[in-house]
Amino acid sequence: MSASRTTRHQVRRRMAATTPLLLALLLVAFVVAITAFGDRASARMASETLIRVTLVAGFWIFAGNSGVISFGHAAFACVGAYVSAWTTLAPAMKATLLPGLPAMLADARWHVLPASLVAGLAAAALALVTGAAILRLSGIAASIATFAFLAMVNTIWANWTPVTGGTSSVVGLERYVTPWVGLGWAVATLAAASLYAASASGLALRASREDEVAASASGIDRYRHRLAAYTISAFFCGVGGALMGHFIGVINPDAFYLNLTFLMLAMLVVGGIGSLSGAVVGVLAVSLAVEVLVRMEKGVSLGGLTFALPPGSQEILIAAAMILVLVFRPAGLLAGREITLPARWVTGRGAAND
Amino acid sequence: MSLQLVFDALSLGGIYAIAALGIALIFGVMNLVNFAHGQFIACSVFALILPSADAVATMGLGALPAPLLIAAILAFGAGLAVAAEALVFRPLRNASPVALMVASFALGILLQNILLVAYGGRPKAVSLWPQLGSPVQVLSAQVPLLQLLVIGAVALILAGLALMLKRARVGLEMRAAAEDFDMARMLGVRANGVISGAFALSGALAAVVALVLVTQTGVADVRMGGQIMLVAFIATVVGGMGSLAGAVAAGLALGAASALLQAFLPVEARPFRDAFLYGLVILVLLFRPQGLFASVGAKPRV
Amino acid sequence: MAKLGVFDLAVRYGKLLAVKDVSFAVAEGERLFVSGPNGAGKSSLLGAICGAVRAAHGRVEMDGDILSGRAPEEIARRGLSMVPEGRRIFAGLTVRENLMIGTGQRRDRAAVADDLETVYDAFPILRERAHANAGALSGGQQQMLAISRALMTNPKLMLVDEPSLGLAPKVVDEVYERLCALQALRGLTLVIVEQSSTRAARVGGRMLLMRGGRVVADGDATAFAAGDLLAEAYFGDPS
Repeated sequence: MSASRTTRHQVRRRMAATTPLLLALLLVAFVVAITAFGDRASARMASETLIRVTLVAGFWIFAGNSGVISFGHAAFACVGAYVSAWTTLAPAMKATLLPGLPAMLADARWHVLPASLVAGLAAAALALVTGAAILRLSGIAASIATFAFLAMVNTIWANWTPVTGGTSSVVGLERYVTPWVGLGWAVATLAAASLYAASASGLALRASREDEVAASASGIDRYRHRLAAYTISAFFCGVGGALMGHFIGVINPDAFYLNLTFLMLAMLVVGGIGSLSGAVVGVLAVSLAVEVLVRMEKGVSLGGLTFALPPGSQEILIAAAMILVLVFRPAGLLAGREITLPARWVTGRGAAND
Repeated sequence: MSLQLVFDALSLGGIYAIAALGIALIFGVMNLVNFAHGQFIACSVFALILPSADAVATMGLGALPAPLLIAAILAFGAGLAVAAEALVFRPLRNASPVALMVASFALGILLQNILLVAYGGRPKAVSLWPQLGSPVQVLSAQVPLLQLLVIGAVALILAGLALMLKRARVGLEMRAAAEDFDMARMLGVRANGVISGAFALSGALAAVVALVLVTQTGVADVRMGGQIMLVAFIATVVGGMGSLAGAVAAGLALGAASALLQAFLPVEARPFRDAFLYGLVILVLLFRPQGLFASVGAKPRV
Repeated sequence: MAKLGVFDLAVRYGKLLAVKDVSFAVAEGERLFVSGPNGAGKSSLLGAICGAVRAAHGRVEMDGDILSGRAPEEIARRGLSMVPEGRRIFAGLTVRENLMIGTGQRRDRAAVADDLETVYDAFPILRERAHANAGALSGGQQQMLAISRALMTNPKLMLVDEPSLGLAPKVVDEVYERLCALQALRGLTLVIVEQSSTRAARVGGRMLLMRGGRVVADGDATAFAAGDLLAEAYFGDPS
């Protein structure tokens, strides 16, 4: 057998490896374009979009590979945001606002990078503990349990006032999230997502998604792989939550509840839950739509008249769009395919495809 | 005090059971976990009042005399559910259960925001049958009249439904369709009829919950129904997905547990009552993931 | 006019063509066996006729009435009843409830009661266990229930998919005996998928031999068993 011959399998692996690179390039181009030609408002929009990439790509690590819809990932973002706040806010502020914090946290004043890592780890730890129980359930039942989990976290957060500030917002978070920071974390998340998808665990999980019986007959322990994906996924959602908090500078439990859950789901559905590229495309598409709708809710002047959509219409239109996608193009915009370089470009010279 | 607790448990459990039935009925015939059910409840509440942004609501249908009002709201709930089925779920008839579930979630958000646009986000005061709040002496306990009515109504509804399912043709067809939908069709059972029927029933049950909620709390809020829908989901899972009896039993149990927690938790812990409840449930599921009464066709047989 | 006419029927699952341009007619009162090796497309053919699976193209007519393209419940209401592979009885319902499922559209209560009696006479075990859960019946009894249940819809034509599957030979004998008796009693037209062509030959009737989605032979079942066509169909060159 000639040493220069590239098998079809190798070609496919190389093509798969180009996906995170292409997606990262796409996002870099996005940021460059915005910072070069856009204004402050556009820069904010760019940061927000990139934070969403982190959140949704993280979400995809679990939902896309396992086929199980989790309604609880916004809770991981909540935990991440608050842990980052707890470790970075000035102790004087924490003493006033959050008197119930344990001394270790109340005195902590860390740099934002370790804070965001710890935020992710805290979310991952929570995922490991709760996922151990939740993921024993079958797909749909597990989804319901994640919804209960979301409600549980929200209830605790909204009522545990001495520690979380309850329903009033925690203010004063250091606003360090620029489009470049957002880009950095987005690319890191994409890399992790691709690595996981290509790993043995990711493959096993996707196999069991297709046919549960065949997978278990092949010796795949679906539970373990689901738990692994759930935990990794929660880490990135935790980081995403921290980024959200430090982007706006203000956090409260309601920001990490149903609206965020809905937005993340909409992005995944529109782009296509089957592929990471779908998740990214979904984020970009829906973010764009949201931008347009927000401007329209503020009011658009045509001639001398101002037309403004009533508040709430944004969600109505996005929800309607989601339903239409599910009916007419259930696999989403990318129909489960990844963005890769064409096969020709990865096979190299002197190759003979079998 | 303990007799009071019994009534609390029964009435709360009863409402949870009715809510759980609404979910289990639809899941049985079409494998759909209806995340819009909470909004079916909320919309039924708002059907009572006229659209406005006022803090105190003006009655629309709510001004009708009781029998007409009840009939009107039940019809509204049923109609809304049937319309949702025809417009959103029928086109998705052959989609995966996951797609159906996500679509129902989107529908719920859609309905909630329509309410938001029409009525504004502030909770409104609604005074429906305030006389039902007055206590009635039953043995050693002072029980609000509403609680007694709820317990009675739930018992009637459950009995009526059980009768319909066991004796009526439509109930027979529903039970067969829930077990093997395609086989039922091959015997001439009309798919659309069975599914629309299940939705109509589910919508009517949502309306019942709505009436109780609004009478009890005196408030109309676009976020209503969410908490009870979650309890209904949990009851369906704990009872074993696909089992109507299981959903009812679990609903009653959850109501009892909730009432007990409310009575025995220290005051500072009371706001966390729901969190405790869900945590407890997750623990139960850890030991028995298939639920208490798993249905016959739950797992594919190899 | 033929009772059932099938014209150029094709069934596709993704890229796989399970049934390729099959055409045949069934006369009233006839007993037609469809036989052939595994994967020949027999079940898909029946599925397409009763509406359970969608045909890629082709036409199915019964008594001149077009069936293809209709929902399975509409086809059932027009007098074509299907007993699918694996029985698929409603285990959570009683035996009697199973029998009554298909009678919803029948207006004549007396006729329904008569049919119930006929079915109980043909399969006494059903009368015995009328109020027991159908899931408790044995395989053979479930087969009898499945056939009776289809009969209760008052069909003109019945499709039966693999009635002998998983049953002991003696039980299969009994099932076929009663089935043929019922056919004679009611002037039914039967189309039966039967893996065992020897069994089909023994029961007697016309036979359609399928292989690779096509009909490769059509004639008398007993004549086939004697000749070489069977071996050819099962073991020969698939071209």
